[in-house]
Amino acid sequence: MPKYTQMAYNSADEMIFGTAKHPVKYGRDFEVGGGFVYPELVPHPRPGSEETKKSLLREYERMVNDVLERAVALGFPGIQIELEHVWQMTKNPDWGGDIAGQTRRQQEDYYKKYGLKSAIRATIADNRKPDQENIRDCKSLDLALKTFESSAANGADNLSMESVGGKEISDYCIVRQDIRGVLFGIGVLGSRDMEYVWQKIVAIAKKHGATPGGDTNCAQANVAMFMAGGLLDKSVPHTFAAVTRAIGAARSLTAYEMGALGPTKDCAYEDPIIKAITGVPISNEGKTSACAHADLQGNLIAAVCDLWSNEAVEYHDMFGGTTPAVFTEILGYDVALMNTAIAMGKAHDLKAMLVNSDKYRDPHSFVVAPENAYQVGQALVANNTSYYNRARAAAIKAGELVLADSKMLLSAFEREVLQKTLRELESFPAKEADFVDQCINTYKKVVPGFNPANYGL
Amino acid sequence: MALATLDNVFVRYDLKKEAAAKKVAAGKDESLQKVLTAVVDGDEENIVQVVNEALAVHDPPTVIREGLVKGMNEVSRLWEEGVYFLPQAIISSDTMLAGIEICEKKMGRAMDKKGLVITHTAEGDIHDLGQKIVNALLRANGYEVMDLGKDVPVDNVVAAVKQYKPAMVTGTALMTTTMTAFRKIASRLEHDGIEIPFVCGGGAVSLEYVTSFDLGIWGKDASQAPEMASDAVSGANWQKMREKYNG
Repeated sequence: MPKYTQMAYNSADEMIFGTAKHPVKYGRDFEVGGGFVYPELVPHPRPGSEETKKSLLREYERMVNDVLERAVALGFPGIQIELEHVWQMTKNPDWGGDIAGQTRRQQEDYYKKYGLKSAIRATIADNRKPDQENIRDCKSLDLALKTFESSAANGADNLSMESVGGKEISDYCIVRQDIRGVLFGIGVLGSRDMEYVWQKIVAIAKKHGATPGGDTNCAQANVAMFMAGGLLDKSVPHTFAAVTRAIGAARSLTAYEMGALGPTKDCAYEDPIIKAITGVPISNEGKTSACAHADLQGNLIAAVCDLWSNEAVEYHDMFGGTTPAVFTEILGYDVALMNTAIAMGKAHDLKAMLVNSDKYRDPHSFVVAPENAYQVGQALVANNTSYYNRARAAAIKAGELVLADSKMLLSAFEREVLQKTLRELESFPAKEADFVDQCINTYKKVVPGFNPANYGL
Repeated sequence: MALATLDNVFVRYDLKKEAAAKKVAAGKDESLQKVLTAVVDGDEENIVQVVNEALAVHDPPTVIREGLVKGMNEVSRLWEEGVYFLPQAIISSDTMLAGIEICEKKMGRAMDKKGLVITHTAEGDIHDLGQKIVNALLRANGYEVMDLGKDVPVDNVVAAVKQYKPAMVTGTALMTTTMTAFRKIASRLEHDGIEIPFVCGGGAVSLEYVTSFDLGIWGKDASQAPEMASDAVSGANWQKMREKYNG
């Protein structure tokens, strides 16, 4: 059940990059949200290297070494490396564990030699198939939990996940612009699934002295955002994707209610809302994740971050070195600028520049701009009587904010979509139980394999 | 903080290129017009009623051809012109397929399909939304789709192609480390003498990778699927299709 009843911050103005209300310490002298921003580098293995454990270990050894070497070469004080699992690392728990152990040893070596502060986030793959199996008792979940264990036991400092509960419904509904199903799939089913899964992750983290990090609505709100795409794309309407993001925030919040401490996952664009409510440190990605995807808030999303990430960069050579080394450099200098602003007492000026660069570029950037994220968060905690109520309230607030600001220009089509979405949201039942009944009745007929029992319904 | 201008920060090209208003072709008579309009509007609530009304006047093939398919053609045009977004096309597709089901019941048989396409999402990959969009667009354009689902082992794809002999097979993957299954599938099919167009796309799947093995054709976007299927059904081999789409 929802727990947050008030905001961690008194205002959006109080929020700033590098500082969180509840900093987290782990790894090798590594503190997140304690006054400075650190880079978080995510290397991704080349296709083919995943064929055997040996070849994948070697691939990670090279990538991690390139990251650490470049960090020291350029004088960066610290760095977090995310081991974002490819399928094979979670399917084979010893692979994930061994790669975490190898990375820890490499980081320890650099810490001893140079004092480079560092930490490891292990993000375990969620390979469950909600429309094909019992996601509360299946081999995929069993393997994921075993891999959390092996990763934590071998040295992963932060355990995170990109959980997929409710995806069978949200996938069906995002491409049909069906806000009821999006609210149900993400706001209700996603939250219920996270409640189930995150209890287990937090228990494993405690057992091994690791930090339960966070989750992201990558499987749902990012699907909507990426499908909305650039300014000229005609897949998912941008206003619809922006409202979906607010719903995603209500769902991702569940991880922290179950005991996750952050830093959050980098691809959770809902993180400014999460930080405003919880005070946990957050990781974000923007222009530096252009190696993985494009988005319309490349600068803005850094405004209140505590880690600054690149999403994932596949291992290749560039003129300037290998891709992990090059992106370490890009992230490191971005972070150096933020930390310089902090040192010079100019952090809020830089924050304003980052925000104003993108706030009116797109409804999505507008919704996650700190001042709007804060208001969405307020709506969310003020309606914490159920997962449904708070997700619905967040969605309505996001839509209202977009419509109310005359500088947030919309095409006639986008405005019409948003107004229709808001009308539908307003028309839904007041009680969660009624909404759930309505949705089960509707989506059992049209979404093959949808099984409410997967969510305790 | 008030800013004088953001003109040199970003340009909203989307607002400069707003689509024209919706104009839809006329049907042959009032009952067919209603069917056509229901498809164009994605009116799933009323499609059963208007199709039944049309079936009282016309035979099922006429209702399909002059109402349902004609409506879907209008939807495709509106999407191409930027009036519609993907959701409108998908909802219209759902509406059209519901109408076709009614017509097929009246005919007592399934409507003739243009050809069979087998689709799947790569082994180890649960991200099948792209595949579902491909399925919807192919079905909306009259193709029979055999959906093998997500996280499909290489063996299953090869076996299905051998058994059902489709005109084309597709593979979707989000991750580079799962797309490696595509090369294995292509290799197995080629080894067994099956030269079928194998369209691969999604997420991090690149032209460079897909064109590095025989049979592979890179699909940049799901909306290409119907035209690709049309080429495959018309007898274009994978080399010709690769030249057309990836040349």
